[in-house]
Amino acid sequence: MTPSDPLKVISQLLDLPLIDCNGNYCGIVDDVAFTGGAGKEARLEALLVGPGAYRGRMPRWAMWLVRTVAGDRLTRVPMAKIKSIGSAVELNTAAEKLGLHAVENRVRRHIPRVGAM
Amino acid sequence: MNPLELTLGIMTAVGGFVDISELVFAAKAGSIFGYALIWVFALSTGGIMVFGEMSGRVAAVAKQPVFNLMRHRLGLKLGLITLFASLIANLITCAAEVGGVALILRYLTGAPYALMAVVGTAILMASMWVLPFKWIERTYGLLGLFMIAFIAALVAIHAPWGKIAGGFVPQIPHGLSTKELLVFAYFAVAIVSAVMFPYEAYFYSSGGIEEEWGPKDLPMNKITCTVGFGLGSLLSIAILASSAQLFGPANVGPELLGSSALEVAIPFGWVGLLIALLGMLFAISGAAIETCMANAYSISQFFGWEWGRHRKPWDAPRFTVTWIVLFLAALAIILTGVDPMQLVEYAVLFSILVLPLTYLPLLLLAGDKSYMKEHANGRFAKSLGWFYFALITLAALGALPLYFLTSGGQG
Repeated sequence: MTPSDPLKVISQLLDLPLIDCNGNYCGIVDDVAFTGGAGKEARLEALLVGPGAYRGRMPRWAMWLVRTVAGDRLTRVPMAKIKSIGSAVELNTAAEKLGLHAVENRVRRHIPRVGAM
Repeated sequence: MNPLELTLGIMTAVGGFVDISELVFAAKAGSIFGYALIWVFALSTGGIMVFGEMSGRVAAVAKQPVFNLMRHRLGLKLGLITLFASLIANLITCAAEVGGVALILRYLTGAPYALMAVVGTAILMASMWVLPFKWIERTYGLLGLFMIAFIAALVAIHAPWGKIAGGFVPQIPHGLSTKELLVFAYFAVAIVSAVMFPYEAYFYSSGGIEEEWGPKDLPMNKITCTVGFGLGSLLSIAILASSAQLFGPANVGPELLGSSALEVAIPFGWVGLLIALLGMLFAISGAAIETCMANAYSISQFFGWEWGRHRKPWDAPRFTVTWIVLFLAALAIILTGVDPMQLVEYAVLFSILVLPLTYLPLLLLAGDKSYMKEHANGRFAKSLGWFYFALITLAALGALPLYFLTSGGQG
């Protein structure tokens, strides 16, 4: 499926893993953003990735817990960056360029590069 | 299909099949009920074959591990509940395995238990750091083949093969009191749980992705699950049968992990004892790594992080930190002084409670044509899947009442 095909947003897109153009996992489609409004045409604008996108999908107490543990980062991935949608959403861009690997890279700096085969 | 790869895969599945809970419950079941619970081992081995094959097939066809697809299928809230439940079950199981490793190292060296827990965990963590996935899986799986000593011991003690074969027929022993019947039912539930631990499907499916399986690997997946798990289960059955032959008539209750090793020591002396302890050490060490990795896989896949040990530890940084923290958490549980045999009871109990939650999404995914296309569950796989799902649901419903009514199988 390509981004221009008809799409059932909830069942086909939400909670799918994201894979960047280098084959790296770089998050989950935690929510989606539309443009438009009441009486206007709604267009899928971006995928929302990160714990900040859990708001509205979880009870308030659970959201407090998520914010405390994981923060409330939110990254927007424009629809133009999607290459295909299947059992994962494949992107046509590197995760770093979209700001999706910020935490991964921050943690990476603390891991010694020794001893592993 | 590469015959060498296939043989190695089967041998790895055999050597990696047994873990601490199967060792403990097989030996206890044999000493108390003779051969009457063999059929439960055989029945639940069928279950892990069915769900193992499905999880491998999903990985090979959808190219996504089960937990990634599970969140998509269940949604965030229900997915989080499943994640949390399986994390607790796997962490308790991992702690029990770490405790088992410490106990066996103590038997082998005479050093203090707590020190051996620290040393054992350090060795497990070091091997996960140093070795890539295939080597981890093969090393512990193949070294676990020392467990074949239990089958050799069964042959050496001139086991009553007719009675053992009779144990494969579903049965409830005659003449049991109500209390004994409840203990029998508790053991049956515990064996189902121990054989079908939830971590096994997660680990197997993620392993398929680590090894980059595709549809061409489906026959190998099927053979590994049926032949490998089937032969692996024979090891548990041999432990049960030896216990029925040696411990039952002598009224010996194999309450300690080391009791099982005596099954090999009796016919083969100290060499047998050493081989049995080494087999147990490698089998339980492998299970400790599998439970820890299964948890790290689940968390990483649920949140879409880089994961896998086919990558260097720094190439999947959050996955690496997660398995390190989980191993340290399992060690911390052991260092509180909790009895590892008690942890085995909790692991089995908690795992059976979450088992339906674990296997239902897998059953739905494997039957979903939008992911699986022509490889979706056929009528046979679907029927077997739902049969086993009904069985584990029944076992889950009965687990807590049976645990309290029998004081954890004590009667």
